[in-house]
Amino acid sequence: MQIRPILATLRYHKAGTLLIALQIALTLAIVCNALFIIHQRLGQLSRPSGVDESDLLLVHNQWAGKPDADEVASMMASDLATLRNLPGVANVYATNTYPLSGEGTVFGIGHSPDKKTYTDSTAIYFVDDNALATLGLRLIAGRNFRPDEIGASSKHSKIEPDEIIITQALAHHLFPDASAVGKAVYLSRKPSIIIGVVGRMRTPWVDSSMAKWDEYSTLLPYRRLEGYTEYVIRTQPGQLDDVARRVKATLYAANRMRVISPKNGVRTFADVGAQAYNSDRGMAILMGAISLIMLTITGAGIVGLTSFWVGQRRKQIGVRRALGATQRDILSYFLTENLLIGVAGVIVGGVLAIGLNLWLMNQFEMEKLAMGYVVAGVAILLVLGQGAVLAPALRASKVPPVEATRSV
Amino acid sequence: MLKMTHLSKVYRTEVVETYALRDFNINVKEGEFVAVTGPSGSGKTTFLTIAGLLETFTGGEYHLDGVEVSNLDDNARSKIRNEKIGFIFQAFNLIPDLNVFDNVEVPLRYRGMKGPERKERIMSALERVGLASRAKHYPAELSGGQQQRVAIARALAGTPRLLLADEPTGNLDTQMARGVLELLEEIHREGATIVMVTHDPELAARAQRNVHIIDGQVVDLAEDPRFHTAYTAAAGQVRS
Ligand SMILES: Nc1ncnc2c1ncn2[C@@H]1O[C@H](COP(=O)(O)OP(=O)(O)OP(=O)(O)O)[C@@H](O)[C@H]1O
Ligand SMILES: [Mg+2]
Repeated sequence: MQIRPILATLRYHKAGTLLIALQIALTLAIVCNALFIIHQRLGQLSRPSGVDESDLLLVHNQWAGKPDADEVASMMASDLATLRNLPGVANVYATNTYPLSGEGTVFGIGHSPDKKTYTDSTAIYFVDDNALATLGLRLIAGRNFRPDEIGASSKHSKIEPDEIIITQALAHHLFPDASAVGKAVYLSRKPSIIIGVVGRMRTPWVDSSMAKWDEYSTLLPYRRLEGYTEYVIRTQPGQLDDVARRVKATLYAANRMRVISPKNGVRTFADVGAQAYNSDRGMAILMGAISLIMLTITGAGIVGLTSFWVGQRRKQIGVRRALGATQRDILSYFLTENLLIGVAGVIVGGVLAIGLNLWLMNQFEMEKLAMGYVVAGVAILLVLGQGAVLAPALRASKVPPVEATRSV
Repeated sequence: MLKMTHLSKVYRTEVVETYALRDFNINVKEGEFVAVTGPSGSGKTTFLTIAGLLETFTGGEYHLDGVEVSNLDDNARSKIRNEKIGFIFQAFNLIPDLNVFDNVEVPLRYRGMKGPERKERIMSALERVGLASRAKHYPAELSGGQQQRVAIARALAGTPRLLLADEPTGNLDTQMARGVLELLEEIHREGATIVMVTHDPELAARAQRNVHIIDGQVVDLAEDPRFHTAYTAAAGQVRS
């Protein structure tokens, strides 16, 4: 209603107006990108690993004294027996790595032995017949490995498995139209037959650059007889802490030729997840903090400038009151004024937000900003502006009309 | 039009109570042109601010246009100010951020008047005061006399029945002052009631009636011995 004269007034107060509009624009650009990043990172955090995470214990065992493959094989076999006999342990297997561990091996996988036509990458897990039960993986089609199919892999041996189990995601990708069970694929020069398909099982990596194939996992029937062994232990329900406390001493008592790090040697799967997502969580917190700081500064800036303007315009507020403005008229004057500055700010800010996102996409594999975040950011900033302006505007509306007669 | 009986106004600060008006009685009839004189600090401005509903009073009664105003709420008072009263201040009180046109428009907007009617009233008010060509100028670009004429146009545009002027010529030289007074006389001839505070005996003499305030009270000059000293002091002050 009084938009035209308010705009005229703002032209008179260019510096303050531009400053606040610019601050709103910058805050919008940063806040909607930050919210987007937060949402993405939290999305990572909540992505299921595919394994039944409760009651899972991981032991990182480094073999000491450079044992050869046969020695490792026998020590590993005796460890597995020891662990299986430990009270509270439900199941156990030995492997090279597990989901979210952050370390692992990648193979090419495809329909032909020719390396150039390998179409995809897959994470490789060396497992035995106890892996599915220990991890709580669901077999969707086909069968599990048999004990007699488990081979050995040492430094110089070739990895050429006859049978493999793959995840549903990978199966669907390789064979979109038919069941993968019984089909041959190539991880090496020799064909491997897919004997089973499991549901979800993530790769060891969580960063977004691996996101495209983060459920392309392949289980190979091998014991890995080199430098270190990872034991994956499923405890009886409720026994996790108890087993975790005793497992190290038990293994050392059985055989001293090993190193289990006091810090990270024994971890629950919850620890693994927390460490894997450390940087995601850190980034989300950082972005949240930055947003909060920007919003606070902008809110404070609006409160400050409006308070200054109200003080500066006491006399003219009094004159307006003398000429018939009600308290509401004065209140709505300042709210409208702020809204106009806010709208200008968010228009510029919306453009800046998209620009910042494009730059992030170029620099750091960021995804395209969904428009919903810009809309949410615009709403947040306009509401923040109106909220911030409310107190000084109410003060303005309380300026008595007699102020018009006071000489300054 | 404007009737105050036994009205009092007390300003309270932490230490003192000042009676700005006490047992104040005045009756201004519709269509009158009254000049209010009195020494500095006698309560002239206080009287005008209460008359114009800019401020409340402490005791007594005030009937404006037949309505007892002390029970009106803030919105009702705003509405009366907007529709019935025009103000002219000594310091002009134009809004510096707005040009002449927008300044005159302010009370009309608060009245909720439509754009075309506002424009017509603004332009005719500016023509009245001879400043139609300055509509796009800002107050700072005008002389004092021109600013006061804009303020008069702003008061006129709403066609108020009561015009309250607090030393409208106090900041102007004699020639400009005469121009402003002629304008007020013209407005008066068209039917408005005018109450004008002035220190200038020459201007006061041109009003239909003079009211003198001393120490917050209306006094009858013929009977009050205090008048002569006060009157001379006030007149002397203006000349210096
Ligand atoms: N806001 C206020 N607070 C306290 N005292 C006040 C206030 N306004 C006016 N007064 C006092 O009331 C008395 C009347 O003041 P008022 O401004 O009405 O005088 P005046 O006749 O207009 O004087 P002048 O000719 O100098 O303008 C003075 O004593 C003044 O100090
Ligand atoms: Mg005064």
